[in-house]
Amino acid sequence: MKNKTQNRHIYWNPYFGGFLLGILIIFTFYITGRGLGASGAMKSSVVTIVDDVSHEHAEKSAYYSKFISGDKSPMNNWIVFETLGVLIGAFISGSISGRIGWRVQHSPKITRRRRLIFAFGGGILFGIGAQIARGCTSGAALSGMAVLSTGGFITMLAIFGTAYLFAYFFRKNWI
Amino acid sequence: MVNRKLVKFLSLRYKILAFIFIVLAGGLVLLPKHEKQEGISPEKLLANTINPERYISTDALAEKMINQDPSLLLIDVRNESDYKKYTLTNAINIPLKNILDEESEPYLNQDAYDVILFSNDHFHADQAWILCTRLGYKNLHVLNGGINSWYNTIINPKMPTEDMAHTEFELYAFRKAASMYFGVAYPEKVKKATVIKPVTKPSITAAPKKVIVKKKKKKLPIEGGC
Amino acid sequence: MGPLIPYDIIPFEWSSIIAIIIGLCFGFILEASGFSSSRKLAGVFYGYDFAVFKVFFTAAIVSLIGLLYMDYLGHIDISMLYIHPTYLWGAIIGGAIMGIGFIAGGFCPGTSLSAVAIGKIDAIINVLGIMVGVFIFSELYPLFEPIYNGYFYGNITLEDSLGINPYWFVFILTIVAIIMFAVTDMIRKRVKKVFY
Repeated sequence: MKNKTQNRHIYWNPYFGGFLLGILIIFTFYITGRGLGASGAMKSSVVTIVDDVSHEHAEKSAYYSKFISGDKSPMNNWIVFETLGVLIGAFISGSISGRIGWRVQHSPKITRRRRLIFAFGGGILFGIGAQIARGCTSGAALSGMAVLSTGGFITMLAIFGTAYLFAYFFRKNWI
Repeated sequence: MVNRKLVKFLSLRYKILAFIFIVLAGGLVLLPKHEKQEGISPEKLLANTINPERYISTDALAEKMINQDPSLLLIDVRNESDYKKYTLTNAINIPLKNILDEESEPYLNQDAYDVILFSNDHFHADQAWILCTRLGYKNLHVLNGGINSWYNTIINPKMPTEDMAHTEFELYAFRKAASMYFGVAYPEKVKKATVIKPVTKPSITAAPKKVIVKKKKKKLPIEGGC
Repeated sequence: MGPLIPYDIIPFEWSSIIAIIIGLCFGFILEASGFSSSRKLAGVFYGYDFAVFKVFFTAAIVSLIGLLYMDYLGHIDISMLYIHPTYLWGAIIGGAIMGIGFIAGGFCPGTSLSAVAIGKIDAIINVLGIMVGVFIFSELYPLFEPIYNGYFYGNITLEDSLGINPYWFVFILTIVAIIMFAVTDMIRKRVKKVFY
């Protein structure tokens, strides 16, 4: 009974989820000719924020200036709209299954504070890595793999390979 | 009873799914390979080939050139030495053997100009036309009779005999005027016998027209998915 | 004949609306598969939950087989699709940094967004972290530029770089993945259950 209350999240069968995700990738490629993505929206937000705070700085920087084009806001971007959709879709799914609520999910062995610090640090690393590799797990690895892109496969192997290598050092956080 | 069968079936469901996947993936390997058809289908090509609309007569071409029709693009498909000896005004040279080269594509695959292919007769030009039409290029025409016919009709037109129809005389008048436009001197005009010879205009070597390259529809996003 | 938007079959103006619909499905699938839970995601690295692995590879195989069939039957022009460019060391180093970020933070951008939608505070912090990471990268861009722009091999596929027939590759990948699914199920039975 105790297990039941703790493991109350009723998730889809992973094969079913994977199958639908695969169909969605085909559909996305069929309609738009490109794959899914996620971190692009965060980049667009960062560029927009920096551009608002200091336009001069953004113009001067070699990286921001790539994404600022005259009158068009960097937020007016395919990937940003897609990300809005992700938020809405996840919210619908969460509300159907009753998973909505402000909480911090962490292993009972670590404190809430530690979990948040690690989440933040992991986010920073992910942000840097996603820019260097030009994409994250969804943009580079998943969509890249769907079209047999060499870069996508390398990125996928690098992400999962390193994560397995370093899993031992972070075991306390999760198990 | 049904329930038990269902349970038995469901215990096998992953194996069945795995099997379906392997069959599907194996199907890809076993599918008969076929070369992807680039360009238009043979039936359509045949229909286009039968259609004589691609031929443009030397008179129509001369009229267009005199009117300085801006949509005209002349392409000489003979080899380079012939092109250097004589060609039509403002023509550019793409020898037949280079017709499928990448540099030739912007000139042939576009929709801003009416391309007119020509060679000595219309044989090589027709071959070039078929090759390009097969690739789905539009607005291609062939000069009927080629340069030979151009020479016989425009540069050196035959005087119609007395018993010919009135239209023939009109045509002759037009051709004569055209040949003067292209630089042929006539004895009765200049009172001096000159050998009629084709005159090459000075501005033939440089490609006269700035061809707008047809925009490839492929638009790559600056940044990939993520 | 697809893809529809690059071929102007669907006007470009529709792309934003289509983007929202596609994102909606993406978010729904991610959340419903349990990707909004960082402990479920991390389970793949400790062997107590292989959902990530199964979803990821099932999706990859389904999309690969589907796209190849559609290409074969002439519904989609595979050469028109956006192929993720290959910057060899960028992919390796970036991927390695992302791997550490993944195991430390427990999310990747797509999953953290779906977790933000259901109110996970750690996911919100993670998204903020990703934005800070992007900011750091942009500020130190001159430092990263050699990796970012170097070792460029073009938008190549495995067919170009390994000379392998894509059909055979997908067939082998399918078999490998199915074997891996079976293996992960066996591993999972041996690993101590973790409740989350």
